[in-house]
Amino acid sequence: MRYLSTVIGGAICGALCFGIWPEMWKSYGIMGGWLTAAIVISISWYMNHWIGVMRNPQGKLWVDQGWAVAAAGMAWSVVRFHTQIRQALPVVCCCLLGGGLAGVAAARVKKHLQPAPGTKAEERADG
Amino acid sequence: MVDFLSHYIGWLGMPPVSVLTTVFGAFAVTFAVIVCWSRLVKDFGPIGGMMAAGFIIGTFWVLNHKLPGFGIHPEGLPHPDGGIKQFGLIYQGFRGAAPWVDMGTAIGFGLWVCGLAEAPREERMRLAAESLPRIGAAIAGGVLGGVLAGLVGWTGANLFGY
Repeated sequence: MRYLSTVIGGAICGALCFGIWPEMWKSYGIMGGWLTAAIVISISWYMNHWIGVMRNPQGKLWVDQGWAVAAAGMAWSVVRFHTQIRQALPVVCCCLLGGGLAGVAAARVKKHLQPAPGTKAEERADG
Repeated sequence: MVDFLSHYIGWLGMPPVSVLTTVFGAFAVTFAVIVCWSRLVKDFGPIGGMMAAGFIIGTFWVLNHKLPGFGIHPEGLPHPDGGIKQFGLIYQGFRGAAPWVDMGTAIGFGLWVCGLAEAPREERMRLAAESLPRIGAAIAGGVLGGVLAGLVGWTGANLFGY
């Protein structure tokens, strides 16, 4: 039961992304895709991570709704277009490689970030 | 060199050049999300997070996932010159016939790895073990939502000839 809210939040986020994104892209092209990110990801981020429907206890590793979107993309195309999961594996490996490198790089970079002078971030001790 | 890089490799499902573009696309969006998103939330509160959704995810969606012509098409869209062309950095494997690989894969994994890299070395195993069930729940939720969203294709409805 403790994970039920994570499952529900992931399901809503995944269904929103792949129910809406392709249709918006077909209808409005590039701007439709951009707009979909603004309306779909913003509201699902607000629900999952600002209100906290996806469980992310303090001081623990962050579980992002990106996991749900990734899983939903695969499940959606398998169910709707009868694709084969194993064919996606090379690209998944490349994505994980790129994402992992970015995670390590960002962890290094974040230690040395300087806020721009006069910004609100500078006033906080933790930056 | 150009020939080798752009030549489609059957078992890999993509030309080698697409490995480079996919890794770079995944790196770029993940780095931007990790570095900018939390900072935007700090500076602007929930509005900052909603701005980040548009400005980070939306903009990197154009970079990573745009396709030629209109429509996300699992077969890919045929190019007038022959063959299937993709312009997004994250390649959709087997000329687009493979299941959709979203940049969410990279973002979720990247945030997880970033958390691991920032944690003290001796706590990493414990943190990773604690997070695995939550990741499993997120993936299960995504599968549930994706399957249900995909089922609309089974209704056989033919609205407006589409």
